[in-house]
Amino acid sequence: MRRRVGIGIGVAVAIGTLLLPIALDDSQLTVYVFIGLATIVVAGLSLLMGYAGQVSLGQGAFYAIGAYTTALLAKLLGLPPLLALAAATAGTAAIAVVVGLPLLRLRGHYLAFATLAFQLIVLSVIGEARGLTGGDIGLPGVPTLSVGPVALEGQYRTFVFAYVVWALAGLALLLNRNLVRSRPGRALRALATSEAGALAAGVSVGRLKLQVFALSAAYAGLAGGVYAFFLSYIAPGSFPVLLSIQFLIMATVGGLGSITGSLVGATVITLLVQVLTAVGTLPGMPLHAPAVFSYAVYGLVLVLILLLLPEGLVPAVQRRWRGA
Amino acid sequence: MSLLLQYLASGIATGCTFALVATGFVAIYRVTRVVNFAQGAFAVVGGMSAFALLGHGLPHVLAEALAVLLAAVVGLLVGLVAIGRRGTPALASLIITLGIGIGSYAVLILAFGDQPVSFDGVGGALAVAGVTMPRQFLLVAAVTAAAFAALALFFNRTYLGRALTACSSNPHAARLVGIDTTRMGLVSFALGGALGGLAGVLLTPLQPVAFNSDVGLAINGFAAAVFGGILRPGTALVGALVLGVAEALVAGYSRASFQSGVALVLMLALMVWQASRRPAVAEDAA
Repeated sequence: MRRRVGIGIGVAVAIGTLLLPIALDDSQLTVYVFIGLATIVVAGLSLLMGYAGQVSLGQGAFYAIGAYTTALLAKLLGLPPLLALAAATAGTAAIAVVVGLPLLRLRGHYLAFATLAFQLIVLSVIGEARGLTGGDIGLPGVPTLSVGPVALEGQYRTFVFAYVVWALAGLALLLNRNLVRSRPGRALRALATSEAGALAAGVSVGRLKLQVFALSAAYAGLAGGVYAFFLSYIAPGSFPVLLSIQFLIMATVGGLGSITGSLVGATVITLLVQVLTAVGTLPGMPLHAPAVFSYAVYGLVLVLILLLLPEGLVPAVQRRWRGA
Repeated sequence: MSLLLQYLASGIATGCTFALVATGFVAIYRVTRVVNFAQGAFAVVGGMSAFALLGHGLPHVLAEALAVLLAAVVGLLVGLVAIGRRGTPALASLIITLGIGIGSYAVLILAFGDQPVSFDGVGGALAVAGVTMPRQFLLVAAVTAAAFAALALFFNRTYLGRALTACSSNPHAARLVGIDTTRMGLVSFALGGALGGLAGVLLTPLQPVAFNSDVGLAINGFAAAVFGGILRPGTALVGALVLGVAEALVAGYSRASFQSGVALVLMLALMVWQASRRPAVAEDAA
């Protein structure tokens, strides 16, 4: 009975979410798009952290790589946007394989620092390659997303983008769900329980980790590519280290390895930051108020969740609900 | 030639501050197996509060000493949050310290503003072998040397220091002989805070420090700490000096923007090399 009610609530929330864009204005729709993009990235990170047990502080780097690859392919080479997006997604995954081969030998805090370093290197490369990327000034004039002759432009641009992004987010979550239930998924869960155990049971641990790392990078690359199309302007400043930390916070808050957790984490944190920014920019607030608020909330949320609900929001609620 | 010496001197000076940050990492990691992401923030707390105290008219030395003390208290508080709760896994503690590091931005902006600050250290310069060398470089080197000597004495000669070492080599055995490992962990966090604060106090006259300078400091400090597998302060010192000099040379002869790249690439290469040579490095201690 409880299970049915749970599913009913889930369906109601999903329908409500999908109908929501009709009622939103453009700036609210932009937030809606950002939630969708964050969900895609967090879906990958959650898989990586929850199952492969790897902490990545470099998802923002893959996001940036996806964004720049898409933008350059579409703008300079004039590739059709969808092809550019697909190529950027695959390219980001390929870079993750190359980077992951040495880096995934590291674990825990070593890997966390290594991925952080990777992001700083990526940012400085983007900043230095001025001829290609426009350096720190950024890359303007990225064409918009289009399928054949139909381009996303005009009055309903943001509205359609919202559905495109959420369709992609839905696909990512679906892929995660099916992946976790498949044969490699069982291997992943074995890996999550005990690496030595998984190895003993014949799971090729190193390879599996690399695959999950590449998949999480592909998700981030995809989201980054859509981001570039959506904003039509990207700069290194759009991908600070804080962005990676933000993804990590979303994944942790939602619940590592939880499929719906990625969605909940991305939504909760994005909305929270939006509300705080709105409060921080009220008249009479000091100039640095929005920054102070978001730093404080990031810090507090991360620490409190880890101390009080280490499994994350969604798994904790699910456990209560089942009456365990 | 004199240009080279100049770069060497400034590299050694910044290397010394990296070394202090690195030893903070080592001090905490040895005892708790937690890599403290807030380590860079300790240095920022030290540097910025010394600036504020000097601004309030406190004399030098006293202001710096208070700033280091404050950083130690902050370290203790971070430790309380990160490891105070029993059974917090090391990886969760890592992310907790990351959260504290981000949260510290808010506090630092509120307390000291969002602009980089700097204050005058010891003024003047000495001419050594035809090279003009700011006195501050010598001060940094001398204080760092003194700090490492004091640490060596502390770890080898005092009861508390030896208890800390015991926790690091075998926490279970340490508990059996009656050492409170959690309390030792907190002591190590306070020590790490003090070392980070000292680094900040020495660094701020050399280069301005802002609330978000912690990432660069932490990366450099961690890179240096990795030289010794985050366990040996002496090796971390060597690593930090190598790193500082390498960065100064790159900045001097090539481009300043490549400077941080050196630390990053060096650190990555070193970590991967260590991991491939000794699988034990990658193993999270229980």
